[in-house]
Amino acid sequence: MPTDAHIVKSFTAELDRLTTMIAEMGGHVEAAIADATTALRRRDSDLANRVIEADRTIDQLEAQVSAHVVRMLALRQPMATDLRTIVAALKIAGDLERAGDYAKNIAKRTLILNQSPVTGPVSGIANLSQMVSAMLREVLDAYLAGDSKVAEASRARDEVVDAAHTGLFRELLTYMMEDPSTITACTHMVFIAKNLERIGDHATNIAENLVFQVRGEHLEDRHAVSGPGSES
Amino acid sequence: MPDTMQSDAAQPAVEEPNIPMPMLAARNVCVSYSGKQALFDIALDIPQNQVTALIGPSGCGKSTFLRCINRMNDVIDGCVTSGSIILDGRNILDASEDVVRLRQKVGMVFQKPNPFPKSIYENIAYGPRIHGLANDKAELDEIVEVSLERAGLWQEVKDRLDQPGTGLSGGQQQRLCIARAIAVSPDVVLMDEPCSALDPIATARIEELIDELREKFTIVIVTHSMQQAARVSTQTAFFHLGNLVEVGDTEKIFTNPEDPRTNGYITGRFG
Repeated sequence: MPTDAHIVKSFTAELDRLTTMIAEMGGHVEAAIADATTALRRRDSDLANRVIEADRTIDQLEAQVSAHVVRMLALRQPMATDLRTIVAALKIAGDLERAGDYAKNIAKRTLILNQSPVTGPVSGIANLSQMVSAMLREVLDAYLAGDSKVAEASRARDEVVDAAHTGLFRELLTYMMEDPSTITACTHMVFIAKNLERIGDHATNIAENLVFQVRGEHLEDRHAVSGPGSES
Repeated sequence: MPDTMQSDAAQPAVEEPNIPMPMLAARNVCVSYSGKQALFDIALDIPQNQVTALIGPSGCGKSTFLRCINRMNDVIDGCVTSGSIILDGRNILDASEDVVRLRQKVGMVFQKPNPFPKSIYENIAYGPRIHGLANDKAELDEIVEVSLERAGLWQEVKDRLDQPGTGLSGGQQQRLCIARAIAVSPDVVLMDEPCSALDPIATARIEELIDELREKFTIVIVTHSMQQAARVSTQTAFFHLGNLVEVGDTEKIFTNPEDPRTNGYITGRFG
């Protein structure tokens, strides 16, 4: 956040509002990931349905951020730090919206899993979910504090997440080979793990946009090796 | 001012091997009005065929600096200028410099359009005539046509060259003044808030014109409109309290300035 205020106070208020909207979105996304994971662990279809329903709020917030950004670009013609803050907010809102979609996907697959008697290794998923949530929380806290130092740490964490995802994928393969009756359930779990891994990527994107906002630099593209399988 | 600071100020813009020679190179330029210093040790290179925008709050010295470049400050009582501005290998601030010759090489366009109370033709022809740039009427006619063409005004006025320049619209008058300035084939065109009296359409025409003129001339523009500086210039220099705070590529200055004062000014946070 820019520390000192604009001569035109309403401009500062609009920038603050943007930060507030991002924070609100972030809170909803964190809750969605936690709830989706809980729903999976407890086989709680009601909670899963609530996660799916709540994704609409995240989508609406993203639309509000976009509208607010367009309005500010048109009316304020922002420059320098303001311009970067506004552009970063637009991109961060996009990342959060995608992260919210992944949480919704997890909830949808949970509903399907709850209809079959067998479920695969849920604890591995819960662990991955915790890692990703912690990562996202750290990045969002840094965003609110305007602290760009988180970016490097976030990249390192993302590598750990990727490794955990790969490990989980192997574990699920073993399950399926041992007991083909778990294939349907485990395939859903593979996708759920992939969704979580992708949320980690978006958290890293957010950290990179934060670096752009604060320092005006684009970090070099990282070519992180994605885990097997893909779902966008 | 201590010597050490002087040498510091002289350093930043010294030519590096890969940068072409600037059209204008200012070093240690200090200006004071009746003992009150208005510019402190300005060191600034104006690159050839580029548009350099000078920005900063009122009283920051940007117009004072602009007026140094064609010695307009000479006419102000009590104004003392020191340092050097090199154009064509000569220090134009030197007392021996021929100011008439200088003002042929460095043209100026002002805030308010100020055509002479003469015909459109005479407005353009006056300068080339007194500088002896045309040998006969045909050559003068050509200079008038080319200048008006370059200023984007020819099509609008070619059938009424004998009518008074003051009868044109504000935007046309300003383009007439630009045509007048470029008629004597200057190296540099200085513009002091050239669009502040114009509507957005006329402003857009002038900005488009500035972009075209860049091919032939080196342009220095003072503007209060940050958006205008961002739109028309390739290099931007930010002045504050008589100091040159930061100079750099326009894109860099407006997206990621180095100095917090520059950021504060262009984002509207100046206290």
